[in-house]
Amino acid sequence: MAVASDKKVPSAGAGLMETLSKRVRQNIQTYTIILALIVIWILFTVLTKGAFMTPQNFSNLFRQMTVTSFLAIGMVLVIVTGGIDLSVGKAAGFVSVICAFLQARFWVDTMPISNPYLMAAASVLVGLLVGTAWGAAQGALIAYLRIPPFIATLGGLFIARGLILWRTEGKTIPANQVGFSYIAQGYLSDWIGWVLAALVVIFLFFNMFSSRSRKVRYGVELPPIAFDLLTTSFFALLVVVYVFMVNRYNGVQVPVALLAVASVIMTYVSNNTRFGRYTYAIGGNREAARLSGIDIKKTLFLVYTLMGFLVGVGGVVLASYVGYGTIAAGEGYELDAIASAILGGTSTLGGVGTVFGALIGALIMSSLSTGLQMMNVAPFVQYLVKGMVLVLAVLLDVSFKKGKA
Amino acid sequence: MSDDIILDIRNVTKQFPGVTALSDVSLQIKRGEIHGLCGENGAGKSTLMKILSGVYPFGTYEGTILYEGQELRLGEGSIQEAIKKGIAIVYQELTLVPNMNVGENVYLGKEPTENGSINWNKLYSDTRDILQRYNLDVDPQTPVKDLGVGKQQMVEIAKALSENAKILILDEPTSALSEAEIASLMDILRSLKSHGVTCIYITHKLDEFFRITDTVTVLRDGKTVVTKPTSELNQQQLVSYMVGREMKERFPKGNRKPGDVIFEVEDLHAEDPSDSTRMLLRGVSLNVRQGEILGIAGLMGSGRTELVTTIFGEYGKVVKGTIKVQNRELKINSARDAMQFGISLVPEDRKRLGLVLIQSILKNISLPNLDRFASFFRINADEELAAANQQARNLAIKAPHMEVAAETLSGGNQQKVVIAKWLLSNPKVLILDDPTRGIDVGAKYEIYKLMNELAEQGVAIIMISSDLEEVLGMSDRVMVMCEGRSSPILELADATQEHIMKLATGIA
Repeated sequence: MAVASDKKVPSAGAGLMETLSKRVRQNIQTYTIILALIVIWILFTVLTKGAFMTPQNFSNLFRQMTVTSFLAIGMVLVIVTGGIDLSVGKAAGFVSVICAFLQARFWVDTMPISNPYLMAAASVLVGLLVGTAWGAAQGALIAYLRIPPFIATLGGLFIARGLILWRTEGKTIPANQVGFSYIAQGYLSDWIGWVLAALVVIFLFFNMFSSRSRKVRYGVELPPIAFDLLTTSFFALLVVVYVFMVNRYNGVQVPVALLAVASVIMTYVSNNTRFGRYTYAIGGNREAARLSGIDIKKTLFLVYTLMGFLVGVGGVVLASYVGYGTIAAGEGYELDAIASAILGGTSTLGGVGTVFGALIGALIMSSLSTGLQMMNVAPFVQYLVKGMVLVLAVLLDVSFKKGKA
Repeated sequence: MSDDIILDIRNVTKQFPGVTALSDVSLQIKRGEIHGLCGENGAGKSTLMKILSGVYPFGTYEGTILYEGQELRLGEGSIQEAIKKGIAIVYQELTLVPNMNVGENVYLGKEPTENGSINWNKLYSDTRDILQRYNLDVDPQTPVKDLGVGKQQMVEIAKALSENAKILILDEPTSALSEAEIASLMDILRSLKSHGVTCIYITHKLDEFFRITDTVTVLRDGKTVVTKPTSELNQQQLVSYMVGREMKERFPKGNRKPGDVIFEVEDLHAEDPSDSTRMLLRGVSLNVRQGEILGIAGLMGSGRTELVTTIFGEYGKVVKGTIKVQNRELKINSARDAMQFGISLVPEDRKRLGLVLIQSILKNISLPNLDRFASFFRINADEELAAANQQARNLAIKAPHMEVAAETLSGGNQQKVVIAKWLLSNPKVLILDDPTRGIDVGAKYEIYKLMNELAEQGVAIIMISSDLEEVLGMSDRVMVMCEGRSSPILELADATQEHIMKLATGIA
């Protein structure tokens, strides 16, 4: 590309490699954790003599990360505002117990027609509502009654535990009805997977070209076309490889497809809506945001409510995934969600963090669990490794920032 | 002659990748004098001070520095070493721990111990000695957070002196101080001088050089331009040395034609929302016409900032009085309300209140204006960028592109970003709270020009300023605040510095 171009044109002077290295330096953190993920995968593939990368395991790896991922992509925005939500694990657990309870006991007596799909849909709806209401209640406490997030949601954590115990009465409630199980255990047929992949690839390229033409119109510096083509092709290739891999097992997993949709929406919300901008501005400098006319209380309330909705989604998927509601449901998930967001570059100081990063973070956590389990490592070692990886990631980040300053 | 030189800086050059911050700087400082250091932002003052205080250790620069006749060789991480040798620095931003008391702060990191535990009696009595020696009127056991900014500054100085400093470097010590506090700081400096302490005094307020310094050195673009006894200089010369060109006037003349009254405040009373016994405003009346600049003078704590934040709906609770825009009485409960009525506020302290420092110029400019570019579902990124670009161009914000984080910009450019974000909302009334604080002469001039242009376009401007000359140089009319009350509005012809000072101190 660059070789063929006329040397007198200055914009062509910024070559492919130059742009590439500049971008890597700018987004060093994102690239570092992607690299970390790849290293972890290679390591486990070698250590398990290839078992880690079999289509079945690959498929399960992604399916396994979905519940915490739903929580993590909501947690990003919460942490971006400078807050925290400690209740999400148990609250999602409570939603899962509610879903199980409705499926197993409630609908049978109350619904006039006993159609499993109708029951599943009603359970999902109630689950989402409970989650959203949960988030709204915490949001109201935090935003309008000024309870510090740490305390409000710590209280929420205890309450959720209590509610689970109350609803389950200490027993396990099945949630394995036909329609309901499909949510977390279903697979899309091969051809639907390929159609989806094609749509995503078309969208990626369309988006790239429309973004370039916008940049031209506003005189924003344009990266070399080779660079854009390369990165877009790379992501397109990832999608294709992914679909190829999962199609060799059972097809695209339904919960992963749901997660992808939720992540795209969350990314869009955080970048392209006023609500998203306000959230980041509040985290970056609350006083400046207030003086800029932003309704801080409303924004915070919405952030926690949105978190609650994702707790609802996570809870529904959880119930469907494990197939029953138990007292242990969601135990410790909040910590995985927080760890994923932080691994993905979300700053606990507020103002910084991406949904995409949190997803990679969740994938790393899930890869560590799966890989170590496959190697038959004792459970305590799994915790040690996860803890060390988290601290190491933040340590690296701190030293990168020091290098920059 | 050479005996009484305490600090001799010879041909010092300091380079950063791509920039020469200091080039061949030479400078002699006599024992016991107050030496002013003057220059625009980026002239190299801070770099020079960082070399003296050991932030940039020996070997990272070229040239020699003789301190007490010996070569100063500060090692890596040697800020403590510099302090031990008697070179102390008081930074612009206060570095005290608010929840600790005065004594604890003064001896932080060097607490006197006895058998391994802190000897509190000694600590407090030593603190009292230092405070008394220099007539600093502060109780060692008061928590620092209960002190005003001026007193905090004094504690900061006491902290520097507790190591028996021989040279005290003050980096813009007065930028947050009121006139009364500045006066007492000057007294302290004189008393330090009589005790034989040498001072290096950096400030952007030119009149302070003439109030306190014996000698002034001007730096420009990393070079020493001149060192002269202060008595042989005047402000005009100082400015032209700083900018390197003859600057006929500090304030550009505008061609303003004030129109009808657009904004009015009548008998405004407001109380502290968290403490209803504390009145912030006790009767303020003012009016501004379209296309006019109303200057508001007043000391720190006179209620000037409280006045504008109350008008903006973000601080004081109005208990009496009215606010009118275009003869319509308004109730303003939040910044959002104020903006809807066409009032914009460029707040004091751009870093704390004006900007989200970690975000880009683009996002900062568009933040209060997103309603214009956004539907419920999305922000129109094209319109947003175009509008912000337009503002950046009009204000000549110097930055490689709009995605640069605000924290990387110079003070003047940061202030332009804050102004840009408020101009984009097309205000009818623009309130500027100390808009040129802490920015250099060149950037000040550009902001003045901008204010003129806006007024010419019919915007009514209210400008608060701590700088009396600025008030007189830029305003059409002047109002003075004192203890929460406003003076009658003065026509420029009646507003002399003396008269304003009298009103501000409550004498007139």
